[in-house]
Formats: sequence, structure tokens, C-alpha cells
Amino acid sequence: MSKQQQPNTPPVITLSKKSLFKYTLMSIVFAIFILLTIVLPAEYNIDPTGFGEKLGLTVFNNSTNTSTTTPSSQEASPTSLTKSDEGTNKANTVINVTVPAGRGIEYKFTMEQYQKLSYQWHTDGSALYFDLHGEPKGDTTGYFESYAIATLQSMEGSFTTPFAGVHGWYWKNTSDKPVEVQLTVKGEYSKHALK
Amino acid sequence: MFNNFQRYLLLSITFFLAVSLSFESLAHGVDEATRAFLLNNTGVQLMPFLYIGAKHMITGYDHLLFLVAVIFFLYKSRDVLLYVSMFTLGHSLTLLIGVLGNIEVNAYLIDAIIGLSVVYKGFDNLGGFKHFLVKPPNPKLAVLIFGLFHGFGLASKLQELQLAQDGLLANLIAFNIGVELGQFTALAFILIIINYWRKHSSFKRFAIATNSILMSAGFILIGYQLTGYAIN
Repeated sequence: MSKQQQPNTPPVITLSKKSLFKYTLMSIVFAIFILLTIVLPAEYNIDPTGFGEKLGLTVFNNSTNTSTTTPSSQEASPTSLTKSDEGTNKANTVINVTVPAGRGIEYKFTMEQYQKLSYQWHTDGSALYFDLHGEPKGDTTGYFESYAIATLQSMEGSFTTPFAGVHGWYWKNTSDKPVEVQLTVKGEYSKHALK
Repeated sequence: MFNNFQRYLLLSITFFLAVSLSFESLAHGVDEATRAFLLNNTGVQLMPFLYIGAKHMITGYDHLLFLVAVIFFLYKSRDVLLYVSMFTLGHSLTLLIGVLGNIEVNAYLIDAIIGLSVVYKGFDNLGGFKHFLVKPPNPKLAVLIFGLFHGFGLASKLQELQLAQDGLLANLIAFNIGVELGQFTALAFILIIINYWRKHSSFKRFAIATNSILMSAGFILIGYQLTGYAIN
């Protein structure tokens, strides 16, 4: 690969202790600078300098700033969203998920406090154990509040969030065949995803 | 033309721009589509796992930074092969043991150690250990040991996916082979660039600045991962 380099003997860096110290210190200072101005604001919304916000890097963790794009829906929304409707998905959104055999999955919606979600879901046949619950934003203790737990084949209802965070379903499939779930929702949320 | 300090600043600015412009596009880990695929598919999936492994390595800047640092001063093909083999041996071992033995390691802490491996090699390239130790640590052994930590990092990424037991071994081996293919591809590009660069005098002039930046990148990874550990 690098045979042609043979006459070129590898250079070895020899630094005095003082310069070594200088370069090490500089690399740390530079690392801290990048961390504080770019990495931490973008990754964790920790923005001690305010520079990350100026650069527009704090948007990734700030769900209220996320523009609400109406997810692919089967019914087109006829009215345009007015200011007060921001964050509301007027149209029904249909989500199809597969719960693999012998596994559990979580499907969650990112919502602010006191937002409402109406839902209807049904499986392709067999009943599934589920836990409809919410986890507060920023919580590190693993706390969650269950709104409904049962084993059903379909369910319809709505809930209003007691706190900001992610809210949704845990479905568990104890059978040896995958189960399809069709979930139809309408309400206020900024994001939805398989967890 | 430039003194070392100016070269350092020049590279720092370039690096700063690179990070600020492309941070999100470099997002590491496993994306949503991959996650959804794995959740919905069980059993032996050789090609998908091969692909996920290769993609993880090619887009895995932490592993690549370490590789760049390791081969920076390796001029002989034999040495490149030897060191890369040590790294491969190390990470394959812990990838297999970690996943099969279900060893739960904290991904943040492991990724912080991977950051430390970059700092270590950058510091080593700067000749740093000559000042502090009577005898510098055996570089091959160091690469092997850090390789072990890189393997736990790979294992933790796979464990995040909560893989089904069904077909686990075959999938794991496919992932491992994918990682090596990805590493080989990435290494080929790195070697082409570095060999070209070595023919120019700028390689020697920028050697100190480059290794300082590598150290910086390692410190950034450490800070990023330790912050993640602290808040999660």
C-alpha cells in the first residue's frame, strides 16, 4: 500500500515538555469551546453561552418550536391551519405498526401539557396486551403514568395529557405470529414515532 | 510560511466549520428506518445486518478518528496491517462477547472511553508519553486494548435494538463482517489520502496541528458522552 514511501523515513514529532503542554491545553480549550457552543446545544439543548440558540442549533430538542407538518393522512384537511390551531392535526392520521411475534413495541406522541388526542385502534385479529401511558419530559427516573391497561382487540377513546412529554402505547404480542395494529389519531402533538 | 501555532489555528477553524455545518448529517447511531426494520423482522437477516455493520463503521466517526490516529505515522504496509489487525481482533472479541453474553455496558461511558482512545493516540503521536514514562506503553497492546472498548461500543449499539434471540448468532456475525468491510473501505480511502499527503511537505508541517486536532476531537467526544451520561 505505501511501499513507495520507504525512502521517506517516518517523521517523529519531538516536542519540548513546554510545547507538549501548550498543545494539549489548547486542544482541551478548543474541545470545551466546541462542546459549549455547538455540541451540547444541538444534542442536549444545554446552551450556557446562548451561542447555540443564535446559530439555531437548539431546535432538535425543542419540540414546541418544531413546525407542525401534517403527517400523511387519508383524509385531506380542507381548512388551513390558523394561528391558534398550531400543533393541532385536524385530520385523522392513520398509522400502521407491526408488533413482532413475542415482542413488545412502543408508539409515542410528543405532546405538551393539557393537549388532547383522540384515538381509535384495532388489530388484524388477535387481542394484544397494552399499556397506554405518558412519560414526563426530561424525566430520568423512569416514571410513567398509565391511562389504560388491558388486553383488547380494539379500543377507542381520548386523553388529555397531565404533563408535557411523550404519550402513547406499549403493545405486547405474546403470540408466535406478528400482529398488525392500525392506529388512527387526531389531536395535538408535535411528533410521533416508534420508540 | 506558517508557524506551528498558526497551523493549529487554521486547522481548528476548518474543523470548527466542518462540525458546525455538518453536525446533524453525521448523526451517529442507528436511524429510525433501520430501527423500524429490525423491530418488524426477526430471524436470520444476513444482508441487512452486513449492511448495518458496514454503514455503522463508515459513518462511525469515532472509530475512524481512532484509525486515522493509529495509522498516522505508520509508513509500512506491514505495520498498517498489523495494527489494524490488532484493532479488529480487539473489537470483534468484545462485540461477540458483549452481545452473546448479554453484557450490559453503559453506551455513554463506553463512547467516552472511545473518545479517550482518540486522545491517547493523538497524544502518543505528539510524542507525549516520552516525557512522562520511562518506557512508553507498547503501542500494539494499547491498540488491542482500546479495540476491546470499541467492540463494547459496537455491542451497545446492537443491544439498543433489542435484537430477537432468533438467528442472533448469524446476524451478529453478519454485523461483524459488515463492520470489517466498512472498516476496510474507510481505511482504503484514508490510506489513499494520507499517502498522497505524505508526499507533500505540508504533512510534516501539519503533523503537530493534526494530532492536536485529533486530541481535541477526542476530548469533544468525551465531553459529549459524559454530558449524556450525566443527564440521562
